[in-house]
Amino acid sequence: MNESNQNFDELKRLLKLKRHEIPPPGYFNQFSGEVMSRIRAGEEGGASTIADQFSSQAPWLMSLLRIFETRPGVIGGLATSLCLVLLIGVVMADRPDTEPTGTVAAAEPAPAPAPEVAAVVPSVAQAPDNSGIAVSTNPVISLQPVATLFSQQQNPLFQAASFAPAGR
Amino acid sequence: MLMSEPATIPDANAPASQLEGDLVRRARHGDLKAYDELVKRYQERIYATIYHMTSNHEDANDLAQDSFIKAFSALKSFKGGSSFYTWLYRIAVNKTINFLKQRKNKHHLSLNDIDFNAEHDPDLVALISDKTPQRDAGLSELQKKLNEALLKLSEPHRMVVVLHDVQGVSHEEIAEIVGCNIGTVRSRLFYARQQLQGFLAEYIKS
Repeated sequence: MNESNQNFDELKRLLKLKRHEIPPPGYFNQFSGEVMSRIRAGEEGGASTIADQFSSQAPWLMSLLRIFETRPGVIGGLATSLCLVLLIGVVMADRPDTEPTGTVAAAEPAPAPAPEVAAVVPSVAQAPDNSGIAVSTNPVISLQPVATLFSQQQNPLFQAASFAPAGR
Repeated sequence: MLMSEPATIPDANAPASQLEGDLVRRARHGDLKAYDELVKRYQERIYATIYHMTSNHEDANDLAQDSFIKAFSALKSFKGGSSFYTWLYRIAVNKTINFLKQRKNKHHLSLNDIDFNAEHDPDLVALISDKTPQRDAGLSELQKKLNEALLKLSEPHRMVVVLHDVQGVSHEEIAEIVGCNIGTVRSRLFYARQQLQGFLAEYIKS
């Protein structure tokens, strides 16, 4: 142990050399001035501080970024999958919208429609004042009340077809 | 002038400490003149600690400036539980260790010159003339080997050697700065010295 301490004394003597390493002349005359000018320039809110805040508040984000830096394949795969998700989203958005009608009808029970309308098109909800304007999410369906095909009521738009063969 | 005089925490009853407390209070309220005084007071020791850890003047300059700027922006969170000196040291130490971890093992030496007094330091003269097996080793070569050996240590071990053996900070103060107990400081110091001794065996008479 004594010999070990003696050796450490030699080492400590050698380490004294570090105390003689000095920065360039006049370095400390300018140091505080540079610090103060950086503080006046508002650097405490600068990029380095933001990085510090991120590393302290969201260390997972910093480690994720580090993974991206070290493994470019990971970020490539992530970017590809994001593009795929976006593409699928765009394709789905362009499709005819059928499901939401049922969903809305189920979610918001419409006022009771006229019986003949309800019989033909159950999903059509007529306006409560019976003014002929019907609210529907399906634009294909006619807004006019539709009579049944075999009813006796006269529809001005309906003409009876004649099936009599020619010449009789 | 030696770059790093042995550092001691000022006596709590000393007028200098009272003055420091006053400077800290004023700086906390945005008084830049007061903070400038604090920077001037500790710039050499903070720079020296970082320089001895990095063995690179440019890195030490950047990190020391960043440490003082960070300390200024965080002054409102300084509760006075420890001395301003210890608190500032802690900021510098954490910044340096984070920097070294990011840089990993990519060390680039940018050493400062050795002052004129080194050639007249009896310990160093004896070391390079009488006891060193490689007697033709000049101070510059010794400086380079010493810095390379220090960089081989892990950051926590290097920090303890730098603070204690180079800067003369006590075990208790190091424990407070680094945030561990005194036993850990002592064991790290012993292990670090052993390792350094191995790295520098050809320059140390065993």
